[in-house]
Amino acid sequence: MIPGLEALLRRSPESVRSAVSEAVQAATWMKVRRALAAWKNCPPEQQGPETTIHLLSSFNLETIEPALQLGLRCIPCRPKLLLAPLDTIEQQILDPTSVVYRERNLATVILWRAEELMPDLFFPLSTKSEDRGKRSHEISARIKNLVEAYLENGASPLLVGTLPLPPASGGIILDSQLGNGLAATIAEVNAAIHRLGATGTRVRVLDVHRWAAGEGSVLHDLQMDFLARQPFTTRAAISFAFFLARNMRPLLVPRRKVLAVDLDNTLWGGIVGEDGQRQLKLGRDFPGSVFLRIQKEILELKRQGVLLVLASKNEESEARQAMTELPEMALRWEDFVCRKVNFNAKYLNLREAASELGLGLDSFALLDDSDYEREQVRQFNPEVAILNEQDDALQMLESLLRTDVFDAHHISDEDSKRHREYELRSVRTAQPQEKMEDFLLSLELRAKVEPVGRDNIERVVQMLGKTNQFNVTTRRHSLEEVSRIASLPGSICLALRLIDKFGDQGIVGALLAAPDPADKSITVDSFLVSCRALGRGVEDVLWAELATRAASSRLRRINAEYISSAKNGVVAPLFDRFGLEVVGETIAGKKYRLDPVKPIDSPVWITVERISL
Amino acid sequence: MNENDSLRQLLIDFFELPVATSREDLTQKTVAEWDSLAMVQLIAELQSTYKVQFGVDEIEHLGSYGEIRAALLRKEVPL
Repeated sequence: MIPGLEALLRRSPESVRSAVSEAVQAATWMKVRRALAAWKNCPPEQQGPETTIHLLSSFNLETIEPALQLGLRCIPCRPKLLLAPLDTIEQQILDPTSVVYRERNLATVILWRAEELMPDLFFPLSTKSEDRGKRSHEISARIKNLVEAYLENGASPLLVGTLPLPPASGGIILDSQLGNGLAATIAEVNAAIHRLGATGTRVRVLDVHRWAAGEGSVLHDLQMDFLARQPFTTRAAISFAFFLARNMRPLLVPRRKVLAVDLDNTLWGGIVGEDGQRQLKLGRDFPGSVFLRIQKEILELKRQGVLLVLASKNEESEARQAMTELPEMALRWEDFVCRKVNFNAKYLNLREAASELGLGLDSFALLDDSDYEREQVRQFNPEVAILNEQDDALQMLESLLRTDVFDAHHISDEDSKRHREYELRSVRTAQPQEKMEDFLLSLELRAKVEPVGRDNIERVVQMLGKTNQFNVTTRRHSLEEVSRIASLPGSICLALRLIDKFGDQGIVGALLAAPDPADKSITVDSFLVSCRALGRGVEDVLWAELATRAASSRLRRINAEYISSAKNGVVAPLFDRFGLEVVGETIAGKKYRLDPVKPIDSPVWITVERISL
Repeated sequence: MNENDSLRQLLIDFFELPVATSREDLTQKTVAEWDSLAMVQLIAELQSTYKVQFGVDEIEHLGSYGEIRAALLRKEVPL
């Protein structure tokens, strides 16, 4: 399995996706060649830049070259691979006139193995202990010498491979006990290589040891190793090729500078505006532990110089309070260089954030549990890299762990200062509102409007108890009270179930209106929409249903009321938008009426089904 | 023997040969691309396709359609 393959395929041209996917899954050379042909048939502008890479290796790479080509093609780039003759690493690097230094290249890569570097240690007891003890120093010194020669003669980065543990070695239990056996010597040499990578020069570490620990050892092919001195099965060759390509990618593709994250069900489990701060899941116990790990990974990205943007549909004061007061939070309000906590469309918030930071949207990545929000951003801001494909917290964590969009070989001082710099730069510039209708149509929204009754009353009562933001009166009715209102002759009490192309979102809206037979009017008692369904026009459907049903019952007037609360500012202008007349206004809210009552159409992007119970 | 057997087709596809290439022409001597590098990939492809593992002795005798077919039949691969 190639980590992050799905994301990699998504950003590849459509014409190559299935061929690359088949090559990776079937892992046969014919499929690899077909995928390469698909890449070569793409328009040149989709194939990426021409890139020369020198590869020097102590084992045979010729037989796996098509796989290496394919991995690198997917960066994308058009690689020209120059494979040095087998086992000539030192000759090539130490000779200032060698081909490695003659042709300008993206990078030079050195790959080696214990099999060639320390073959005697495969038989440790055939070697004197004092000789074994010297091997790691000797080899580390040779490697250091090579690196110094390269830095003197070469101009491009040098990727130095670490040594994988050989899968084909005997006596592993005994060897593990030797302080200077094969395993110990490899560990010491690898540590020396890592230290070379930390010197801040053009040396980069290609951690083949880590790759092999993940899957390389399992995919070792003893037959191929003896037959062709290349240790890979075809599957391993493909995996290794994508690993190599991932290590090359930061040399060709700038990393994403910004991670925009949602809050509810992304940084914590639950919805702060509905569940309340105390019910949020975050901490050491499952599932809060998953959200805590997500936060820690994001904080680590900040320390690597990635700018964090908070993009959440919430009341800002409530979100900020929860972030400040929850004891287990790893991320703090101040960790975000830009906070867009409001009820605007997410894609607009991201555009605003980009404008304020002076960055393009192609610098942005997004982590968000909502299918709707991700789809909206995908359609309106296609430059944004969307990290996760599903709403599950573990899947979001995995996508964070696997993504290559923030890959970098080094963190510069500039990177670590970036947060402060951009915080100062942040300037608000509003973006014009964009037409949402096409996007909403693409969601294939269906609203099932049903009378409040036996099958849905518990959910309606639950919503009345939990919904704080899109709730015009915030009346917390009991089941008995809702039941009473619903059973009044002439009442119009509706629950709305929303279905979109992602699936059934459940009951997300409700409206309770009680009749006043004396003057042939009806009064809206409660009207609410779950915050996870905002922006789709659910409230418009409920209002249209109320008006149409009231009109067909020949009612003369609809009365409505907005009662202000600490959290429901988002619905303050709702009845004004619906065209109701203000008949009273106090500090506590406004009273409205609609007179006369006429049928209203629902938004065109939602198909409405009326269900009778 | 069926002219359209899967082994013949695999070799034709692998070396990108004309579809009419006969079994007799599928040998290391007649197919220019069938060099030692291609041989390594071909062995991997054959083992993966027919779910077999060739032994050390067998690997040295996979230089033609006929030899490969014989090796596969010895492993009771239905062809």
